[in-house]
Amino acid sequence: MKFRRVAQRWLATGVLAIAAIVVAAPALATKQTAKHTPPVTKTSTVPDEYIVKAIGSKSAPITMEVFSDYQCPSCGSLYEQTLKPLISDYVASGKVYLVHHDFPLPLHKYGYEAARWVNAAAVAGKYPEVEAALYDNQAAWSADGNIQKYVAAAMSPVDFRRVAKMMEACPPPAAGVTPASYSQAGKPAHGCPFDASIEKDKALGNTVPVSATPTFRFYYKGKTYGPMSGVVSWPIMKQFLDQVMSQ
Amino acid sequence: MAATPRSQTGRILLLIGRIALASIFLVAAYGKLKPQAPGPWSVGSMKTSLSMFAMQVDSFQLLSSSSADLVAHTLPFFELFLGLWVLSGIVLRLSSLVSTLLLGGFFATLIRTYLMGLEINCGCFGPGERLGPKRLALESLMLVLSLGVTIGAFIMARRKSAPAESTTSAVGLEQAR
Repeated sequence: MKFRRVAQRWLATGVLAIAAIVVAAPALATKQTAKHTPPVTKTSTVPDEYIVKAIGSKSAPITMEVFSDYQCPSCGSLYEQTLKPLISDYVASGKVYLVHHDFPLPLHKYGYEAARWVNAAAVAGKYPEVEAALYDNQAAWSADGNIQKYVAAAMSPVDFRRVAKMMEACPPPAAGVTPASYSQAGKPAHGCPFDASIEKDKALGNTVPVSATPTFRFYYKGKTYGPMSGVVSWPIMKQFLDQVMSQ
Repeated sequence: MAATPRSQTGRILLLIGRIALASIFLVAAYGKLKPQAPGPWSVGSMKTSLSMFAMQVDSFQLLSSSSADLVAHTLPFFELFLGLWVLSGIVLRLSSLVSTLLLGGFFATLIRTYLMGLEINCGCFGPGERLGPKRLALESLMLVLSLGVTIGAFIMARRKSAPAESTTSAVGLEQAR
């Protein structure tokens, strides 16, 4: 008798819960999507105007967008543990197109300056090399601010002279001036040609919204996955990428 | 003979708490299993959602990759089961105790992560929730609710077994359990 009552109660609960999930799921899913889709994801990929620093083939099935600060330790960990194997494996084999966006945080003294150097290097076609050099030596230049040393080591003297020439228009931060005060409302407060690109990336990041670095998201077949923040190990990210591509 | 007003109120409060606690687990399971990109439900979409949840579990930097993967692929189903179990009211003392232990574990993990300064997504109810003071406050409220239901379930069971209780009350309490 007792068993029968218990079984009836389980059955009723199960049926009710499944019915509620089946009825509510599609409606909730649609509502959630509409609420969280930022304007830029309407294109279901990264608009060209935002692609300044990217690695891989644009025709790769998956696009991964990463918002990071070169001085942020977690961004360094993500790069060293996850993005390096991603670049040598899935980016090299044409499965993933990796797009970087600058999101220098005011609390990092040299983050903005590092982003300028990387943008200058990107103009000279040396973005992947300089990005790797800055993350590999993050602790060193974060301590003394000597970013130039590692940028120079990542390219030929001829290329470095070209990059250094471009950087002449970008004065180093004056004493007491934090990187956040370089520009107002997206307009560069001086003649550094790379600040507009950095500010554009930051504005894009704010629409995601990026609240911490690193933040990343993925695009596949018109669908957007993410954003997510933090450091994820390569085996786990690889599993996600394989799963997405198997759909 | 009718149940005393006090036990009646207790039963109603326990029922409300039970439904609220079960809803938390059911919504949490739904948030993790639902398609993370616009589209219909399917086995593939669920697998993608779980592998995305695995990234969130991994970002806590608490478990090895294989353990994070195992947790991510079992936790949502366990939450679904626990939600249904609490909702059914069967052996409520045990189900609410399991809920309290689980929520206590979540709370401890979140506190540890916050104190470590990791700026990550919580992933508690799906992607996109940043771990911060607001999240911690909500999590502590859920833990208090679960603790309340557990205590309530034990008190009710004790009252039921007490000889002073009337037969009618005992039947009512049995129904509440």
